[in-house]
Amino acid sequence: MRIVIAEDDPLLREGLALLLRAEALDVVATTADPDSFLQAVDIHRPDTAIVDVRMPPTHTDEGIRAAVEARRRQPGLAVLVLSAYVEQAFATDLLAHGSARLGYMLKERVGRVQEFLSALHRVADGGTAIDPEVVAQLLTRTRPDNRLERLSPRERDVLALMAEGLGNAAIAERLFVTDGAVHKHIRNIFAKLDLAPTDRTDRRVAAVLHYLESGGQHKA
Amino acid sequence: MPVNDPHEGDEPVRPWDPIVRGRATLDGLEQLVGGFGTAVLALLTLCGVIISALACVVGIGLLVLPTALRVLRALANRERARLSRSGPELIAADPVPDGLLAALKQPVTRRELCWVLCHASFGLALGLTGVSLPLNAVRDLTYPLWWQLPPPGDTAGAGMSLLAVNELFDAFLIALMGVGWVVLTLLVVPVAPRLQAWHGRRLLAAGPEADLALRVAQLTATRAAAVDAHAAELRRIERLLHDGTQNRIVAVTVMLGAARRAVAHDPAIAEAMLEDAQGAAEKALAELRGLVRSILPPVLEDRSLSDALTGLAAACPVPCEIDADLPGRCAVSVEATAYFVVAEALTNVARHSGAGRATVTVRRRDERLRLTISDNGRGGARERSGSGLAGIRHRTEAHDGTFALTSPPGGPTTLNVSLPCGL
Repeated sequence: MRIVIAEDDPLLREGLALLLRAEALDVVATTADPDSFLQAVDIHRPDTAIVDVRMPPTHTDEGIRAAVEARRRQPGLAVLVLSAYVEQAFATDLLAHGSARLGYMLKERVGRVQEFLSALHRVADGGTAIDPEVVAQLLTRTRPDNRLERLSPRERDVLALMAEGLGNAAIAERLFVTDGAVHKHIRNIFAKLDLAPTDRTDRRVAAVLHYLESGGQHKA
Repeated sequence: MPVNDPHEGDEPVRPWDPIVRGRATLDGLEQLVGGFGTAVLALLTLCGVIISALACVVGIGLLVLPTALRVLRALANRERARLSRSGPELIAADPVPDGLLAALKQPVTRRELCWVLCHASFGLALGLTGVSLPLNAVRDLTYPLWWQLPPPGDTAGAGMSLLAVNELFDAFLIALMGVGWVVLTLLVVPVAPRLQAWHGRRLLAAGPEADLALRVAQLTATRAAAVDAHAAELRRIERLLHDGTQNRIVAVTVMLGAARRAVAHDPAIAEAMLEDAQGAAEKALAELRGLVRSILPPVLEDRSLSDALTGLAAACPVPCEIDADLPGRCAVSVEATAYFVVAEALTNVARHSGAGRATVTVRRRDERLRLTISDNGRGGARERSGSGLAGIRHRTEAHDGTFALTSPPGGPTTLNVSLPCGL
């Protein structure tokens, strides 16, 4: 995996590079602002980028815009966006054109190296990684639609993990159940939420996120 | 806008110091002459108003009286401007409305009519007296030099009407009277302008309704400034927490995570990573301390404003002397504002002035906290939006305080801030 990092805090930038290199991943460039990041993407043609949301000059959402621009220049580039705090609007902007090869995570998840690496690999392999915090916000949002209440607690857990971008096997592993049980839960969830069932993870994440975001007003 | 009084916090007044007294007399004389001028104009205007009012009986006055009132308004505004130069500001009144009745209905017009009566009589008399006192003094003091000159006709000065002047001795007696005139001048002239201005200040001040509107506008502006300053401050703190402290702690967790992974296969690398993690944690703590201090310095709360300012002076790269004489304490917000005014001002001094020395004076007088920050630098400091000085003004005005900056090119720069103590 060839990785470019864009992070303006030097300590964190070097820490990330150190961590990834220790895992035998190929960090080809580390950059501190959106312009040099885009340059590095042009030069090195990485397959994955790790981008901080807040970067100079205004420290607002430069990272999101840089990520969108990098994907426009190099379609198929996997991007994992790191953020100091969860902002629904950032996730929505980022996922506006589909959720494949995209991730949006809180910075501190990096410290849980195993989970961070699996999210990174998932994104690089064409999947999605959404921070549990984002999903939790979506789930607790008050909505006119009350179909979520029809879900059993276990089904809610499965829904949350699906929204994070996990595949069936990973969900089964997290919840200590069999693949078959997960499969059954997912079928129930799709039925109760009136969603068209699908086995392809990327479409599934998009459908679930869209459902959660729209408050169930538009059927996915 | 609050009135900026550059004389605030002056040295204590010594009324009998000859220089101070002399200067006060000259100032008073200048104002008396100005007042005398407007009083003469007031007399002419009064005559005009009376004549046109009388002419109303035959009808033509109805056409002339509005013009007379407009002249009166112009004169009153001139007097307001003159009085504003030597004391609290008097707001100019709006032009006289069309129509005689509308004009006469205005309370301002009625007050101006009273004023013109007072000023044309009392004000004129006082001005005449005030101006003649020093003239008498000069005439009598110099009398021994010219007493032998042939008198121009029979009329002569006050001295000659009392004494028959036949020899030099008598002339010197008259010069002695001149000394009396001088003393009288020094006694009367400094206070006379206040007496002369008294009716003007009372009658030409905006009515209670206008005053309140002005005050409301001022409060609205300062409140907006307070809210802005508050929002900017919150933004600054948020930035420091997010991009500073939080990033440090994230870095700590990243390094700890990496160290845990490395501990099994390469303890040496793990050790190095733990070291980095500890360094990052310490840096986070240091930044957090700095942030807390910038929100509200603990020393300000635990000790006193003087101690907090002494701490600031010690941290300032330009040698700085703190002269704080503060019995008791002010409201916390006022002390915090005073602290930040001094902090910001000293930052400016260190950054831009090129000064070799700075002085901070803090006094509490008349329930106001008065701060004077001066330096011997190159001067020419100006207030631009977004600059430290604009920040000081906003913070000050948010507390209903006043802000005055004098910084001629070449220096020295003096910043005067006065805050209500709020207790």
